[in-house]
Order: sequence, then structure tokens, then C-alpha cells
Amino acid sequence: MFEQQLFNGLTLGLIYALIAVGYTMVYGVIELINFAHGEIYMLGAFLCITFIQALGIPLFPAIALSMACCAAIGVFIDRIAYKPLRKAPRLAALITAIGVSIFLQNIAMIIWGSRPVPFVRAAVPKVFGETVFTLGSVNVSGLQLFIYAVTTAMMVGLTLIINKTKVGTAMRALAQNPVSAALMGINVDRVISFTFALGSSLGAVAGILVGMYYNTISATMGYNAGVKAFAAAVLGGIGSVPGAMLGGVVLGVAETLGAGYVSSQYRDGLGYAVMIAVILLRPSGLLGKSVGQKA
Amino acid sequence: MKFKHGLVVALAMAAFLAVGNLVLAADVIKIAVPTPLTGPAAGYGDNVKAGVAMKIEEINAKGGVNGKKIEAVYFDEQCDPKEAATVGTKIAGDKDLVAIVGHLCSGAHLAALPNYLRAGVAALSPTATNVNISEKGKDAKGQTWSFRNVYRDDFQGVFLADYMAKALGLKKVAVFFANSDYGIGLKDAFLKQAKANGLTIVGEEAYQEKSTDFTPQLTKIKGMAPEALFIAGYYAEGSLIADQAKKLGMDVPKFGADGLDNADYIKLAGPAGDNTYLTTPFLAETAGPEAKAFIDAYKAKFKRDVDWMSANAYDAAGMVIEAISKVGPDRAKVREYLAAINTKDKAYKGITGLTYFNDKGDCEKPAYVKMVKGGQFVPAEKQMTK
Amino acid sequence: MSKNSTAFKILGLALLLAFPFLPVISSEYVVHVAVLVMVYAVLAMGLNVLPGFCDLLDLGYVGFYGIGAYTAGILSLNHGVSFWVIVPGAVALGALCGVLRGAPTLRLSGDYFAIVTFGFTELVVLFLTNEIWLTRGPLGLPGIPPVAVSLEWLGIDWRYDFLSEVPYYYLALFMMAVVYVAMCRIEDSRLGRAWLAIKEDPLAAASCGVNLMTFKTVAFAFSAGVGAAAGCFMAQWSMFLAPDVFKFWESFLVLCMIVLGGLGNINGAIVGSVVLIALGEVLRVVLPNFGLPAETRFLAYGLIMILIMRFKPGGLFPTIAATSKKSRLILELKARLQAERTG
Repeated sequence: MFEQQLFNGLTLGLIYALIAVGYTMVYGVIELINFAHGEIYMLGAFLCITFIQALGIPLFPAIALSMACCAAIGVFIDRIAYKPLRKAPRLAALITAIGVSIFLQNIAMIIWGSRPVPFVRAAVPKVFGETVFTLGSVNVSGLQLFIYAVTTAMMVGLTLIINKTKVGTAMRALAQNPVSAALMGINVDRVISFTFALGSSLGAVAGILVGMYYNTISATMGYNAGVKAFAAAVLGGIGSVPGAMLGGVVLGVAETLGAGYVSSQYRDGLGYAVMIAVILLRPSGLLGKSVGQKA
Repeated sequence: MKFKHGLVVALAMAAFLAVGNLVLAADVIKIAVPTPLTGPAAGYGDNVKAGVAMKIEEINAKGGVNGKKIEAVYFDEQCDPKEAATVGTKIAGDKDLVAIVGHLCSGAHLAALPNYLRAGVAALSPTATNVNISEKGKDAKGQTWSFRNVYRDDFQGVFLADYMAKALGLKKVAVFFANSDYGIGLKDAFLKQAKANGLTIVGEEAYQEKSTDFTPQLTKIKGMAPEALFIAGYYAEGSLIADQAKKLGMDVPKFGADGLDNADYIKLAGPAGDNTYLTTPFLAETAGPEAKAFIDAYKAKFKRDVDWMSANAYDAAGMVIEAISKVGPDRAKVREYLAAINTKDKAYKGITGLTYFNDKGDCEKPAYVKMVKGGQFVPAEKQMTK
Repeated sequence: MSKNSTAFKILGLALLLAFPFLPVISSEYVVHVAVLVMVYAVLAMGLNVLPGFCDLLDLGYVGFYGIGAYTAGILSLNHGVSFWVIVPGAVALGALCGVLRGAPTLRLSGDYFAIVTFGFTELVVLFLTNEIWLTRGPLGLPGIPPVAVSLEWLGIDWRYDFLSEVPYYYLALFMMAVVYVAMCRIEDSRLGRAWLAIKEDPLAAASCGVNLMTFKTVAFAFSAGVGAAAGCFMAQWSMFLAPDVFKFWESFLVLCMIVLGGLGNINGAIVGSVVLIALGEVLRVVLPNFGLPAETRFLAYGLIMILIMRFKPGGLFPTIAATSKKSRLILELKARLQAERTG
């Protein structure tokens, strides 16, 4: 049973990680907790099933299209809502993010209705639902393998983008010192837009994977996932991409093992307790850089 | 000067609030429908809204009540006690609202109720199942102002425990409950009766409403090898529980109360939904012609299958409107009329069967069992008749 | 301008004077909303201490509100304790919890502090949900007795129960006034100056002899105590409690109020709570008049929040926010810190 629980936790954790990466990238670049990110994740899932149902597009192109749309939405939100507030007090942008989150959730509720919707079963390849192989006492389904493959690929890709490309270097420069970065000739706005696009498209993938895995999508799904992913991002050290991945997995496993072995009533609480304990012991998260007191 | 501008805005808001109540009295009779229309519970609120809207449309198409049209005024309270209390004062203070169909959630109903007792307006909830409401619906004079045409949680819990033990002869059951007033009320009643019936409870796990991952708890339950799984919660989560249980290789019969009774349960659970038994106030197959007509009209209008919330809301609106048509749009008289529906002979005949209230405003209704078979709700082979 | 300003001043003064008489002229609903506004104004003033005065982002304020409310609910419902006895007790308990939460977080900064406060509140709500033996969990606490004034303990047979909104209105007004005056006094005291110094520059403040630990701990205790007081009032006013009332969103709402009103300003906190609570209700009344269904209420709410921040990033009333920056006190403080640093 333990292997099964560990495995459950890992699946959940990888999904948290995928959303957490979006938080952490935006935070790294403009120090904004983008609370609307959970809503992007929800929109990704809804857009995907809409493309499949209304336009008859097959699953994989629909995923790509949905990622592109969410990237555009992310950039658009940044331009409209956050960009004018770059020089404003930090909390102003935070409140705006909350406003955007409320707005998107309610508009999704008006467009797609307020009841949960199943993922389009017919569009999902049959092998996803089947047990592909058994590992000890653990049944691994095709979809779970797919989730592992996709999240790993995304993470590797992301790491490559950040560490090996020019725009990735620019992102890191911006995270360290926006003023000097601008002086070095980096187009700050473009880099920020790119960050939003990248984070939002990953959020969309997470939403679609969750929609497929649990076979349910609802307008309010972004809230819980967003909060958990935010916790994961901070746990791992906010601003650090590998930290967000690690944080997601730690949170997912802690939650699952907690629910399985300690108390199902305190399931979420155990995740948060682990998070608090980690932060108190390591005040800048698992892999975060020590920021010190900002003077 | 900006502050002064702000002051003007604030003043304008206050003015709006003050005059907002003074809606022109037209030739309509209004009933209030407080229910969640935004927020996480909005999906359930939509069901209630649909049922009420159907009834009112139907009445108005026939010319209304005594020549006056009926109008439902919807109030969004998000299932939130704080919002419900605010909405409650608004409804209580607006004398044009003759009666109330609502609230949807028990917590919201309890929070708003003191206002209704104080102002003297009857509230008939189609969905609030919490046991506590029975004790809080009376004013100082001992008059009941809170009614409901839905079972109490303890009734269904006991009924299902009896059904499992006596009709199906099960021995070993696991319980998976929503950590909410509904789930806990149902679970507690079920456990008590199950123990009395000699059922062995092998696992008792909780889940948070609005969550989507139930595998840790289900893995634990699976280890106990139960013969059946009792899901005390709503269909949004219940369907996922059925699905994930199947994926974990636990293919046992599932049981649930009215919370699972929704076509979306089958849609979301897919093939995993099969072999689920649930209590229901009416069976579409054995219901009268009126119920059949309602089921068809509902499907034509909303493009989905009817659920018990809509059906109960339809009947609740029907009862309130009948009261108004008999005694006129008077709050106190409407209450008296509803309170007088207290025996089987005087019962209101709606699509969910005969409804009448006891002294506490709770309804007494027969329960049936239906099950999911081949992606369809069908009456269960074994029924329990009292 | 001067003409206008005089007119506005008179109008504002008239409004202020008329406020206590609101229950006389308006309906229960309006009075109820006004009471709600005042409860949130107290919460906002309490929260303001941390992000506003000390620059510590607190995302879990609602936890203390919940602790206060449940203390009052349980004591009055199960043990018949009077409201007037509960309030000091609950405030003390809230303050204690504030210190307990604050102590381990003293060395955290910025968003790490924020997330710990958030996690703390989630734990409080989970405690309220799951410790059914104490709180009845999700079943909630129905039937909490109303506030009562009684002279029975003096042997005089006289008792007045708060059965309508009106007495609560005056009680809330009293509570708000007490907190307001206390906040204003503190802002002007050594304590308030120390807090502002911590906000402006913790390092410099420490070097000026401000004991960061002590002053932050006092801030935690004070802020939490005010939240607990508001909770006590809420419990016996609404007469029903459930863990749902204290969800994470409420913390956000209160935070939005102080940012919208102008961070760090006592008047701003009050204005912010008036605006956000009234906005929800105004939209409830106004939207149907435009033929929009009730479902669009929060759509408009979110949109208006975005627009306010977009066009008034300093808060809805930057003049209010700016007054704290203009105050002689702060200017002197800043000059002193500057001197300290260069010298």
C-alpha cells in the first residue's frame, strides 16, 4: 500500500509542480504573486475541451492551441492589468491579481456554466485509461505515464530555456537586477511578456492534464489548485524554478501520505504544516536564495 | 480634492442602497429565491433556479394567480452564512416578497433564519437537509416559519443502513464522507443505524469538498477490502470517487443519498458510475403523468436531465404559489397555510410525491432506491416499503 | 475650489453627524450592511497594523477573527457567559495566539512571512472544522444567544436583549470608535513611531535602539486582539457560526480594503471597508436594474477592483494615504533615519 500512496503523491505533486512553476517564474521576474495563475490553469482546461467539442480538433492539436491561447491571455493580462502598476506599491499589483482572478473565474462561470464538466472521453486515446503495467502492487495507467512524460519534458525544456537561451539569460538577469538588466540593453517588457507566456502555457497544460486525469473541469477549480501551487512555490523557494518543482512534489507526497496514514480530515493541514516547518527551518524555502532583510 | 470626490462616490452608493428597496409595486406577486448563483456552490444554485423558473413560467402561462403574475426575485448568497444573513435582512425587510423558496445550503438557511422569524416570513427550503434546522424554525410564540420539502440527513442515513443490511444483506461497508454539514450529518446517522443492524464498518475516511484527488483515502479503504462503499456527499465529488475507486481496482457497489442524485454523476463518473445505489424522493418510471411531463419539459428547456434539486424546488415553488392563490399575498397567512399542511390527507401533491409537514416544518416523504445501470438511472430491483 | 471644499466639508460633517441616526431613517437591510461595514472596518484597522505600519504582509488575519468568534460562540452558547465577560477574554486569547504565531516568524521576511500566516489560518480553519467535540465542525454553531445587557448580577431584575439590528448598530459604532481612537493614539505614541520606523527601514530602526523583536511582537498581539474582538461581535450578532465563514478569501477581502483605502492609514482602512462591502451590496441592487442577472455580480466586482488599482495604484484615496507621508512626525523620523545612516 505504501508504494501505491507514494505513487499517488508523486502524480499529484508533479501536477502541483507544473502550476507552481508559473507562479515562481513570474515572481522571479517582477516579484508579483500572480494569483490569477490558477484561473489560467482553469481556462486552459476549458479552452481545450471547447476546441475539441466545438471545432472537432483532435486532442493533441487542441492542447497546443489551448497553450497558445493561454499564453496570449497571460501576456494580455500582464499588459492590461499589471504593467501599469510596475512602479506602484507592490500590494497594488497583488490586489489587481486578486481582482483578475475573481473576474476570470466569474466569466468562465458565465461562459461554461457553474457545474462541473467531464473531459471529452471520446477524444482521449484509449490506452490512457488502461493499466499499462504493474509495479509491485501499483497499477500504472497510460495517462499517468503520459503525465510523467509530459511534466518531465516540460521541466527539462524549461530548464534548458532558462539556462541555455538568450531570453532565459535575460530572465535571470532581470530577476537579479531589473535596472542593470535594462541598462544592458535587455528589452524588459518583452522578457516579462515571454515569462508570462511561458508560465501561462505550462499552467494550461497542467489544467488539461488534471482535467483528463480526474475527468472533471469546473470554473472554480483554479482556486484550490492555485493556492496549493502557490504554497508549493514558496516551499521550494519562491523565484527558483527547480525549487518549485521540488516544492510541488514534496507538498503532493506530504499531503497524500498524511491523508493515508495520519488523518484524512487534516489532509490539507499536513501539507501546510510541512510547508510551515520547512520555512521556519529554512527561511527562504528549500532551494531559494537567501534574500535577507530588504533594506 | 480626491477624497471629496471619493466621498461623493460613497454617498452615491449609500443613496443607491437606501432607494434600492423602493422598487415600484407593480401588478405582480413576488417570491424570494435566495440561493448561490456565484462561487463554488453556484452549480447547485442553478438547479434550484431552474426548478423554480419552470414552475413560475407554468403558472404565469396559465394566467398567474388571481390575475396577477408571479415573479421570482433571485438573491445570490454564495452558500455563505455571512452573505445569507445580509440577504436575509434584505428579504425580511422587503414587504413585497411574500414568501421564500430557499436557502439551498443548511448553513446559509440557519444564518438567515433569525431574520425571517423576526419579520414573520415563511421560508421553504427545497434542499437544506441539516438536522439542526428543525430546532431553529420557531419564533417566540412557537409558530414555525421554516419548512422544507426535503428529507433530513438522519432519515436517509438510517434508510440506507437499513437497505444495505436488510434488503441487500451486506456485512462489511466502508464510509467515505464529505467534511461538511451534509456529509457528517448523513454519516453519523448511517453509522449509528449500521451498527444497530450489525454491519461492520471497516473504514471511515473524510474528504474536503471541491477537491479532486481522493486516491490516498481510497487506497486506504481498499486495503480494508469492504463489500460496499457508502459515499456521503454530493455528485461533483462522488462521481470522481467512483471513478478513482475503479481505477484503483476497487469495483464494489457504491451507495449514496440524494446528494449523488444528478445526471452529472453518470456523466462525470462514466462507466465507473455503474452499480451505484441511491435514495430518491421519486422514481421517474413510476411517477405520475405530471412528473413525466415535467421531466420532458425540463429536458427540452435546459438540455439536461432533471435532478432532485430542481424537482424539489419546482414543488417548493408550487406549494408557496398554491398557498398564495388560496390565502392571498399575505406573509402571515401563507405561513398559516403551509403549517396547516400537516397530515397525509391535506398533503400537497407534487411531482416528488405527497408532501406534508410535521410540527417542526420537516416533511415526511417515502423514499425509493434507484441505481445506475449501463449509464442510466433505473429503479433498484429491491425496494424497501415501510 | 474653496467654495466647493467648504460645501464638501459641511456635507462630510453632516454625514458624520447623521451617521449615528441611520437606523432611524432606513431599513433593517441598510442597518445590517452598515453593521457589516463597521465589523470589517474594525478588522481592517486591526490588520492595518501589520502590513500598514510594520510592512509585514499578513495573509491569514481571518484566523484571529475566527478564534474570537468561536471563543464567543462556544462560551455563550454552552456556558452562558455574558458578552461583556467574553470580549476581554477572547481578545486576550487572540493576542496570545498572535504572539504564538508571530514568535517563530520573527526572522522571516516578505512573502515567506505571508505564506506562513496563510498556512496558519488554514490550520485554524481545519481545527475549527475537525475538532467536532469542541466546535461542532461543519455542522456549525446555530442559536448563539444575542448580546444582552443585564443588571441581574446586581440583584436588579432588569435585562435587555439585543434582538434587532439597531442595538448592534450602536454597539458596532462604539466598538469601531474605541478601536479608532486607540489606533490614533498608538500611531502617535512611541509604539506607533517604532512600528513606522520598522516599516521604513528595519535595519536603521534597530540601530536607533528600536527593539525589533519586542515591537513586532506587540504588533502581532495588538493586531490579533482587535481581530478577535471583531470576531466576538460577529458571533453574537449573526448568532450562527460555521468554519466556512473564516475561509481564506476573507483575509484577502480585508487586505483589499486596506490597500484600496490607502495602506497604513487608519481612515483609509475605514474607507476601504465602506467601499468594498457597499460595492457588493450596491451591485446586488443595481445590476438587475440594467437587466443583468445576479450571476454577473462578482464579475463586476472583480472588474471594478482591477480598474480602481489600475487608475489609483496608491489606493482609492491617495490623499488619505499621503497624509501619513506628509505628517511632520514621519518626516522627522525619516530625516532622523537618514541622518543615522549617513552619519
